[in-house]
Amino acid sequence: MEEILRMEHITKKFGEFYANKDINLDVQKGEVHTLLGENGAGKSTLMNILFGLYQPTDGQIYLHGKRVAIDSPATAVKLGIGMVHQHFMLVEAMTVFENIILGDRNTRGIFIDKDARRKEILELSARYGLDVELDKPITDIAVGAQQRVEILKALYRGAELLVLDEPTAALTDMEVEGLFRIMKKLTGEGKSIIFISHKMREVLHISDRITILRAGETVKTLNRGETTGEELANLMIGRELAPSHYEKVSESREPVIALSQVDYHKQSKHNGLNGVTLRVGRGEILGIAGVDGNGQSQLAQLVTGVIAPEGGTVDLKGSKVATFSPNGFISENVSHIPEDRNKMGLVGNMSVMENIVLKETDDPQFSDAKGWHLKKRAIRAYAEKMQQKYDIRCQSVLQEARNLSGGNQQKVILARELENEPDLLVAVHPTRGLDIGATRFVHDTMIAARDKGCGVLLISADFDEILEMSDRIVVMFEGAVMGEYSGINPPIDQISLAMAGK
Amino acid sequence: MDMSFVTNLLLASVRMATPLIFVSLAELYSQRAGLTNIGLEGLATIGSLVGFMVSLLTKSPLLGVLAGMMAGILVNMIFAYATITLCAEQIVYGMAINIFAPALAAFIYRIYFGSGSELVQVKLMSTLANAMGITPGNFFTKLLLDQTFMVYLAYALVVFTAVYFNRTKSGLNYKAVGEYPKAAATLGIDVIKTKYLASVICGALAGIGGAYITTCYTTTYVDGNIAGRGFIALAAVIFGRWSAGGVLLACLFFGFFDALQIRLQVASFGLPYQFFQMIPYVATVVVLALIGMKKAGPKSCGKPYRKEER
Repeated sequence: MEEILRMEHITKKFGEFYANKDINLDVQKGEVHTLLGENGAGKSTLMNILFGLYQPTDGQIYLHGKRVAIDSPATAVKLGIGMVHQHFMLVEAMTVFENIILGDRNTRGIFIDKDARRKEILELSARYGLDVELDKPITDIAVGAQQRVEILKALYRGAELLVLDEPTAALTDMEVEGLFRIMKKLTGEGKSIIFISHKMREVLHISDRITILRAGETVKTLNRGETTGEELANLMIGRELAPSHYEKVSESREPVIALSQVDYHKQSKHNGLNGVTLRVGRGEILGIAGVDGNGQSQLAQLVTGVIAPEGGTVDLKGSKVATFSPNGFISENVSHIPEDRNKMGLVGNMSVMENIVLKETDDPQFSDAKGWHLKKRAIRAYAEKMQQKYDIRCQSVLQEARNLSGGNQQKVILARELENEPDLLVAVHPTRGLDIGATRFVHDTMIAARDKGCGVLLISADFDEILEMSDRIVVMFEGAVMGEYSGINPPIDQISLAMAGK
Repeated sequence: MDMSFVTNLLLASVRMATPLIFVSLAELYSQRAGLTNIGLEGLATIGSLVGFMVSLLTKSPLLGVLAGMMAGILVNMIFAYATITLCAEQIVYGMAINIFAPALAAFIYRIYFGSGSELVQVKLMSTLANAMGITPGNFFTKLLLDQTFMVYLAYALVVFTAVYFNRTKSGLNYKAVGEYPKAAATLGIDVIKTKYLASVICGALAGIGGAYITTCYTTTYVDGNIAGRGFIALAAVIFGRWSAGGVLLACLFFGFFDALQIRLQVASFGLPYQFFQMIPYVATVVVLALIGMKKAGPKSCGKPYRKEER
């Protein structure tokens, strides 16, 4: 085995805070090396150092045995390092082709030699099975395809070492499989990959070696064959985490919400609902399984009053809903953890404190005269109480919400949505992008809400999450309900088939 | 209405469109790098005064234009430093330029010429036909030959800009800075440098556009001579969908209404001339309302680029 990269004693200080402390990492030719760690463990910092975005406070980097100084992304690219960022670095207004050749320095001439460049790109894409449509604008292609464009972009620049920063976070299971095939092909051709993830199943499936980081330090490097998911999880969080097991409830209860033959944009396979009938009872979790984009978003918007059905009826707490408005549903004590916490869940530029009381500014507890005058001091005291209770880690409740980590942002939403003990909670991808610790916290909180009698509609593309949490499972495909299953010993094979529309 | 009215109107449209083309291209280059510069009016004003003074002193309108260009660049560096380096709000600084630059121009004019009511006149740039000693007769020779160097420059710049943004590598990189600066940076494109370059181009073109007014159009400088062209140019960029060809069409459109209103004023149908003066502005409002904002411009417009931000 030939060593491609060695990072030795890497230390990065921000002020007095060590983001990385004496980290060692080596990557061999043709291997998938996973960096595993919770949010804030220092993975991103380390990779930003490798990619020249940060300068290390201390430590050395060797590429092919030679010491290198990486002072900018341009240098990193020149040295054969390619990075696929978690948030894609793609210009949406441009085509796939334009994105790939952007910033190109390898070719001479002022003008773009379209034919020659296209040929090169198509050769690369055929070789690694990265099929993309070169002339489509980025906005018109799916997330998985965008990721392939990012990988092509790196390869086009001659990357030998690819860093994939949480590449599976935004992908469906099918797309993840496609990505793994591509990764195998790449390593088969002698490329090396640094894979960043905290999804245990994927890590164990794809990695050759795994390096665990915790609180900015290297914990251990392990071979895949020598370890188990539990060991990795424990090393990652630094304590024994008992495997989670939630008691399921089975008896049927009075429904909080019941949908009957509900239609919405029926013709649309991906963004509609077609004759959906389901109900969520008090004190139970109904899990909606299915590949993303089969009407789940519309279902969530419908049961929170954002959109109105075009056919069928919705009964909320026993009475038929006549007018659909978010406000109406909120006053019926319906809570919502929306699918995109940054776009729908929080106002990023407002403080944690303001986000926590956003729904209840009319409450006499927080304002005089129905919101005309805010009681800032009371709001702050309340927010600080919530900060304690929900373990929101922020500098102060006055910090802007967008500066919080994903897990802590989600806790702000939980504090707002669950503190008033809702009758119905609609949770959409509530743990997407969160690490193990934060995921566990969200799950525990949801179970606690259920046990207090709240009906929970859990919509998630993470099948494991559905299986773990749901008392009943409904599968959706192309806007229709494919079947309903018990959450106790669920028939996994049948559910998988139903998710594929069979 | 005879034929000469129509041909004269068209010829005037081309002349009226020229300063708009310069100023609109200035905005196009600025916005393509993510800088919404609403200070065009101010930049053009200072360009027009400096252009006027230098062409008066040197007796060379061309030197006047060059001086106006330099003045535009200098003043726009205030905007550039504040918005690029200090990450200040672009609209605020654009507005500041609009307040500051015309006041500065008026101030310099008063200091230099005194506050007398007599207007100093300057010789205008000669047309190509003049320089060649031809007297153009028909419409086409008038259109193609009876124009100043600046008109040819404006159209050449439109072609250059179209080719630059659509066919060259450098133009593609430039556009990426306006769309998604962070992505551009990860590909080794120098975002800050591009934005400063954009500000230099913007200042230069807006300055030239202003200087055109006092070196090719009217023989003197008066306060307010830019007369909202800076804002019409802003509309032209939106109307022209952020492309060089579109901007040209938009400028010709506005130039036509500008020429029309002057002719209607002269013809005077007994209406107060202010009504005719409104025509180009009303056309701007109507067009923007009709076109709407379906496709917005470069994504990062108005947002500061901070290198260290995650």
